[in-house]
Formats: sequence, C-alpha cells, structure tokens
Amino acid sequence: MAAVQDGPMELDAEKETKPEILSDGTSNLSGNTASGTMSSSPLTAAPAGGAPKMEDQQTLIAVLQFLKRNKLMESVDILRREAGLGEDQEDSQALDGSGGVKGDGDGGDTNSLLSRVSMASAAAPQSTLTPMPAKSANDQPDVSVVLSAYSQQGDPSLYKVYYSDLKNFIESVLDCHRAELSQLFYPLFVHMYLELVYNNNENEAKAFFEKFSGDQECYYQDDLRVLCGLSKKEHLKGNEALLDFRTSRFVLRISRDSYQLLKRHLQERHNNQIWNIIQEHLYIDIFDGMPRSKSQIDSMSGSLAGEARREVNKVKVFYGLLKEPEIEVPLDDEDDEAENEEGKPKKKKTKKDSMGSKSKKQDPNAPQQNRIPLPELKDSDKLDKIMYMKESTKRIRLGPENLPSICFYTFLNAYQGLTAVDFTDDSSLLAGGFADSTVRVWSVTPKKLRKVKSAAELNLIDKESDDVLERIMDEKTASESKILYGHSGPVYGVSFSPDRNYLLSSSEDSTIRLWSLQTFTCLVGYKGHNYPVWDTQFSPFGYYFVSGGHDRVARLWATDHYQPLRIFAGHLADVTCTRFHPNSNYVATGSTDRTVRLWDVLNGNCVRIFTGHKGPIHSLAFSPNGKFLASGSTDGRVLLWDIGHGLMIGELKGHTDTIYALKFSRDGEILASGSMDNTVRLWDSLKAFDDVETDDFTATTGHIHLPDNSQELLLGTYHSKSTPVTHLHFTRRNLLLAAGAYNSQ
Amino acid sequence: MASPKTVPKDAQVMMQILKDMGITEYEPRVINQMLEFTYRYVTTIIEDAKIYSTHAKKSTVDADDIRLAIQCRVDQSFTSPPPRDFLLDIARQKNQTPLPLIKPYTGPRLPPDRYCLTAPNYRLKSLQKKVSSSAGRITVPRLSVGAVSSRPSTPTLGTPSVQTVGTKVGTPVSLTGQRFTVQIPSSQAASVKSATPTTPTVQNVLINPSLIGSKNILITTNMVSQNSSSDSTSLKRKHEDEDDYDAL
Repeated sequence: MAAVQDGPMELDAEKETKPEILSDGTSNLSGNTASGTMSSSPLTAAPAGGAPKMEDQQTLIAVLQFLKRNKLMESVDILRREAGLGEDQEDSQALDGSGGVKGDGDGGDTNSLLSRVSMASAAAPQSTLTPMPAKSANDQPDVSVVLSAYSQQGDPSLYKVYYSDLKNFIESVLDCHRAELSQLFYPLFVHMYLELVYNNNENEAKAFFEKFSGDQECYYQDDLRVLCGLSKKEHLKGNEALLDFRTSRFVLRISRDSYQLLKRHLQERHNNQIWNIIQEHLYIDIFDGMPRSKSQIDSMSGSLAGEARREVNKVKVFYGLLKEPEIEVPLDDEDDEAENEEGKPKKKKTKKDSMGSKSKKQDPNAPQQNRIPLPELKDSDKLDKIMYMKESTKRIRLGPENLPSICFYTFLNAYQGLTAVDFTDDSSLLAGGFADSTVRVWSVTPKKLRKVKSAAELNLIDKESDDVLERIMDEKTASESKILYGHSGPVYGVSFSPDRNYLLSSSEDSTIRLWSLQTFTCLVGYKGHNYPVWDTQFSPFGYYFVSGGHDRVARLWATDHYQPLRIFAGHLADVTCTRFHPNSNYVATGSTDRTVRLWDVLNGNCVRIFTGHKGPIHSLAFSPNGKFLASGSTDGRVLLWDIGHGLMIGELKGHTDTIYALKFSRDGEILASGSMDNTVRLWDSLKAFDDVETDDFTATTGHIHLPDNSQELLLGTYHSKSTPVTHLHFTRRNLLLAAGAYNSQ
Repeated sequence: MASPKTVPKDAQVMMQILKDMGITEYEPRVINQMLEFTYRYVTTIIEDAKIYSTHAKKSTVDADDIRLAIQCRVDQSFTSPPPRDFLLDIARQKNQTPLPLIKPYTGPRLPPDRYCLTAPNYRLKSLQKKVSSSAGRITVPRLSVGAVSSRPSTPTLGTPSVQTVGTKVGTPVSLTGQRFTVQIPSSQAASVKSATPTTPTVQNVLINPSLIGSKNILITTNMVSQNSSSDSTSLKRKHEDEDDYDAL
C-alpha cells in the first residue's frame, strides 16, 4: 500500500504536466508523451490485456477530452491511434458521463479532474465544474488516481471504520482542540454518505447513516432528514442544493495548532481516505491564535457551506449614508418657492435646513454621490422631503424608558392567504399581497384612493385651473381600497416606491409587476426569474429595485430596463429576502442556505458573507445609520452584524417561531421584531451596538465572544391573540405599525 | 385528522411518509393533494412506458421502459434552477457592464412600449355598411386610459345604438399606423331613422386577443360618441353580437 505521501506528490506531478501540455501546443509529441507517461500505467496494462478495462478507457477518454478542449488536435489523433479508441466510443462515453447535465457538458470530466488537482484555495472561480458529484480519489497507487472519473473510494464497508477512527482520535485530543476538530464531523459525514450513495452502495450507505447521524449537531437535523431520504444515485440528480454542496467547498476555520494535530494523525495512518476527502471537498481556513471554544463555533456555524473565509469579509464596504441635498425649509408653509439646493441663501426669511450642513467634508465611510447613478430629485420629491423634515421634528425619541405605541392592522377573512405586506414611508397607504394572486391597496388615512380620470373626461376639465391636480382625479370611483389583478400565482413580495407613484409585486408566477398608483393598473411585467420570486424591494431613492427568488440569485432592475442590470449569484439555495442599504449602494440578501450576503450594486460582487443562523432567513433590516444589519430566521433568533468589520455583534433570543418582520425605529434606538408566535418584541439596539463599540475586535480572526444578554436587551413583548406578525413599520413620528392576518385556528 | 381505521391504505402510507420526513403539522387536505400528485405522476410514467415498450415491440413493460419514461419526463415537469457555475458565469457577464446613466426629466421611467403592458389589447372593427344619418359627426368609441390592460373580456356596454357617418372612420390623428374602425350593429343601422341625440353610449368593442400588447401607445384623443338612437333592446343586442363576429 503506498504511503500517504505519495498521494499529494502524485497530484503535484499531475499539476505540472497539465500546464506543460497547455503551454506547449506545438510540440505535440512531447505533450503526448507527458500525458502518456501519466496514463501509461493503465495503458500498458491495456494492450497487454487486450481490450482496455472500463476504468482505463474512461481515463483515456478523459485525457482525450481535455486535449480536445485545448485544441491539441494532433495529440488527440496520436493518442487515439495508439490507444486504439474509436471516435464514436469516446463520444458516447462523453454523453454518458454528462447525461442529464444542463449547461456546459463539454469537457465535464476533465474540468472536474482539473479542479480536483488544483488544491489551492482559488477553487471558487474554478467552478467550471459541471454539477456532477465530484469523483472520489482512489488511493490505489498503481492506477493513475486523478484521471479516473468514477472510481471507487476504497472499500465501502471500511467507511464506518474510518469514521469511527477519526471520532476516537478527536475524542482523545485536548479539550481546546476538540471543539474545533469536531467541526469536521458533519461535512465528512455528508460527503462520505454521498460517496456511498453515488457509487451505488445503498446498504452500506444506510448503515453508515444510521450509525453516525445521531452524533451530529442538532442544528443539522433538517439537512440530515433530507439526506436520509436520498438513498439512490438517481435521487442525487434532482437535488440542486446537494449538488451544490458537493461542488462548493465547505469552509472550516481551524487554528493552526489543531490543524497540525489533525494532519499529523491522518498522515500517520495508511488509509488516507479522510485526508483525501478533506483535500477535495473541504477548505480549511487556518488562523493563528487561540483555538475557539464550542460556543463561539456554534454561534458561527450552521450554514450549508460552513463559515465564511476571512478574506471574503475584508473588502471595504461604504456603509455611510449619502449626503442629503440641502433644502431650505420655509418658515411659511405656503411658500414653496423658497426652497433651494446646496445651501445657497435666497431669502432672508427662510430657515436653513440644518440636517445637511453639519458634515461639509466627506464621511470616509460613505460612498461617493455618483458612485452609482441615482435619479435626480424632482420638485415633488423636494416637497416630500420638506414634509419628511417637518414630521421628523415632531418625532418621539424612543428609548428603554420611552417605548413606542404599537398599532396593529389585522387582516380579517384572509384565510391564511396574506403573503406580503408593505406600508409607504409616510404610512398613508398599505398594500397586501395574497395567495389568490391579487394585490390590494388600502388607504390608511381618511383620504380615499382615487384614480386618474379616463381620457374622455380629462378632455373636459379646465386645464388652466389651479387645482388641476385634484380635478384629474375621478371622484366617482373613489374608494378605501383597490384591487389589482394581474398575477397568476400567489404574491410573495410587495414594495411601494418612495414617491408613492408605483407599487411592485413579485409572485410565484416568476414575474415582477409594476403597478401605477395613479391609474391603479399594471404598467410592466419584468420577466427574468423562471422560478417563484420570493421578495422584492424598491431602492430608497426609487428607480432601482431588487428581487430574489427560487433560482438562487438576486437581480437588480431599473424600472426602465426590461432586463436586470445586475445578477447577484452565489447563494446555495433560494434567496428569500432582499433589502437595500440606506445609501442604495449595497443589497443584502438572506437565503435558505442560512447565510446573509451583502452585494455591491456597482460591480455585483459579494462583499460580505454572514453565517450563524441555523435556519432559513426570512427577514432583514438595516439600521438607519447604515452601519448594522439585523437578520431573523426560522430558528427564532435575531442576529446583529457589523457591516464595516464583517462580524456578528449580537444575538437576540426570545422568539419561539420564525421571525418574518424586523424594523429599526427611525433613529435606530429600538429594534422591533415580529414573528409567527404572535408576538412583537422590542429590543434595545443602542445598547447592543454600544457594547460592541467598547470591546476590541479581534479583527484578524473575527471571533467574538458574544455576551448572553438577550434578556437585558429585551424591552417588551406584546402578544396578539392569534395573529402572526407579517410586517412592521415605524411611522415618521416613531409610532409602530404592525400588520398580520387573523388566524382563527 | 381522520382516524387511521377509516382512512384508506394509500392515505395511511402517505401519512407515514410525511411522518418519516419529519412533517408533523399539516392541513388534512395535504394528504389528498399528495395522493393526487402520486397517482397522476405514476399513471403518466406507466402510460409512457407502455408506449415505449410497444414501440420496441416488447410484450411486457420492463424496468428499462420505466427508466426511459422517467428520464423523458423529468426535464419537462421537474425542472430545477440552473446549476451554480452557470449562474456565476452569466452573473459575471452581466455585472461587467457599467450601470447605465439615468436621463434626467423623462417623466415616468418605463421600458420601451413593447415591453410594457400599457398598450390596448383590442382592436376596433371597421364598419361594414355605410349608414346615413346626420352629417358631420364622427362616432368613435369611448376609450379610457389604461383600463384595457388587465382584463381580457368582451364588454358590450350599455345600449349600443350608434351611428356612423358617411365618412369612413380612418385613423385618428394621434395614432400612427393604427387602424381604427368602428363597428356598427347592422340591425341597428337598419332601424335607425333619424338621428335623435340621446345620451352618449358606448359601442360594441371587439377584443382581438392577437393584438394584446403589440400596438403602440395609449389612446389619448377623447372620442365621444354622439348620435345615438335608443331603439335597441337587450335582445337585439345579442343578435348584434353574433353579427359582429360574423361580419369580421
């Protein structure tokens, strides 16, 4: 049995030969022999034994495909002649190998081989892997390990032995290392199980599962249940999340000391099975420093792909707010002409707006004004801003002593069909999306909803009159609520535009519709997702909107483009929640793969990955100052993240069911969360963020020891009788509005 | 929850499956839905497999046929989202183009009209018979802004009692390239004697589904019907409907 050291060395040699072939297009013969030597061992066996064996043939075909892909046609011919392979054989083999694969099936085998060979951490861009489960490494030294596509990984019945060995070893190490090395159990377990299933060892797979599934952490139970249902190779093909699990590398953060221990142990033993799996499927992010404790690890783990690599969270994020344009607030309410921009004084009577003038120099953490193109302010927007500022002077300052009043809007007779709610910023309109594919808009204020008159009537009105804007509205059909028909599936997300002219709705029929709130008709249907769209939101400045759906991407659209402007791809499972940052330069997405990602609108890159939730994430909220992000999921916890540093800074425990609504108060002092357990809870966010400020971050390792202070931060719990809370909204004066559908059961 | 004794065996099996998969809370109709799905799927597969086996001139249906049937169906019904590497690829392509600049002062920012749903989804029929009546008035249907987009239907509103005039209704000025025609109920036309101006009413409007979303812009001209006679009754109206379709 070859010593373990041969394994990596062989792979290294492989790596060197491949670049040689790549660069050396002209000297075909040398290239051929180079590849020939590697595959010569199976090949020499082949002519001697007559027809080549299955594995060897596949090896040859893999090499052939690789050469073809790199357009080394002469080498291809020579190799084919020498190996005695027919062209049709090779094609049929290729078809077999990539059967049922969408996307590029070209050179699938070789791609997977290449990616296995390159063990370096630049694995992510090399995801030219087709979604076939990666081929396991063979530890038998005589066959060229890397090239064989579907080889058996050792003896299936020995998997249990390997796993138990590792378990015993980990239990015997020092306490401080044990917690870290226990992180290995889950990914190893899943990969080994999938290997067994993939290689059609159903019985061994089942036995393996039964024996070791109980040892895994409790927060993986849902995943394990799904795994339990997969016992055949065919089942793997349809399951996207699992395929992604196999191709993406599970990230583990282990301290250098623990890692050395593990490596030494595994390399001492002759069955380097586990070592192979680790090299192939796991990415171990080594850090120097103290090993982490169990609680620290638990708080960060839980996502489908392990934790985030440290360098992912190091990109600079401009989390500051954009400068408000200076608008002079006239002392006299009627006097609209007195407004100016950029602080140019016009009339002495007017009072200068103090909001924008404080920070004359650029906040270093804020993005440039023109980093992304934003729509300019129209006159109506300026009027809105003035209203906003007036209202904010009347705002109540909230705090632990001064809790907001909560006004709950209950939807009756919705028959569990209420799937989405949104309020306008000034709280004048309320929209509900329903499972019967309708969207209903209500007026919250006594003012009724009016739509614009028809063209016939518009001709009759006096266009010169002062109140022409009122005259164009149709009084006859004014009503408290309007119903919008158009979708052909349940409406899962609604969002008002900041200027209250448009309403967006996203639905299971995979379209996003833009409705006009002046005519109450549908204007545009945006098609792009081919799968249900779970959430959508307008940007705080209007014009842009973001949507996320079942196809695992979030898309950025502009209202005047029928195709998305940006595609944010990277999540391993559905994107369930999408929110804009207050400065509109970043988008946060929460997903079923239990991570929250922050994306840059300018170039579509993922700038932050936050792991730690143990269930799919259904709600996100940015703090008004743009520095912090709160996320809520099905596990009932709200996690607080510092965007600038990329760290978890708080955990709020208390809810017992999925949290579907999260909102910060207007000045960021209170965080309100609403959940399916029929309660609204108020948390002291100022205190939660303050505590963080004083600690010193272990910024290099990113490990925070979170104080368990949820009880102190909880300011109040408010129960409704049996109405789960779907949406929360703070009015401009800091009154809390909540919405939900009465659930009679 | 129905007691296990009275529940048919298939439903019991389904309940057990749900329990095994860890689903403990569900509405009772879920079982029926799942059973229905199962029956439908299995029947489809077996029927397909039967077809394949007869095509291969086999006497019985065997596992290969079933496998083939499953494979052929899986791409049609159970599509799954594209694989991750494909998504990363197209995302990279899409994200390379810089964000487009926003043109100032352009009114409502909507995509080009052919991607919007704001076009009329009907077309008016041309008038078939010339009807003489009082001079000079063009009757055209009343159209409202934006009301046509969402509901495809064939409204026949009010009492149709319109005339047209000797002049053919051609294209109204504001719409280029669009054919506008008014449709006249022929029986009505016959019965009209004199133009007695009564309340303006709306005419029959035929909705041509092929035109939904394909023509240009909103109708902005105000077109009011004038001249009407009020002879028709609702019975006659039904007649007219058929005539209208025939005349097309």
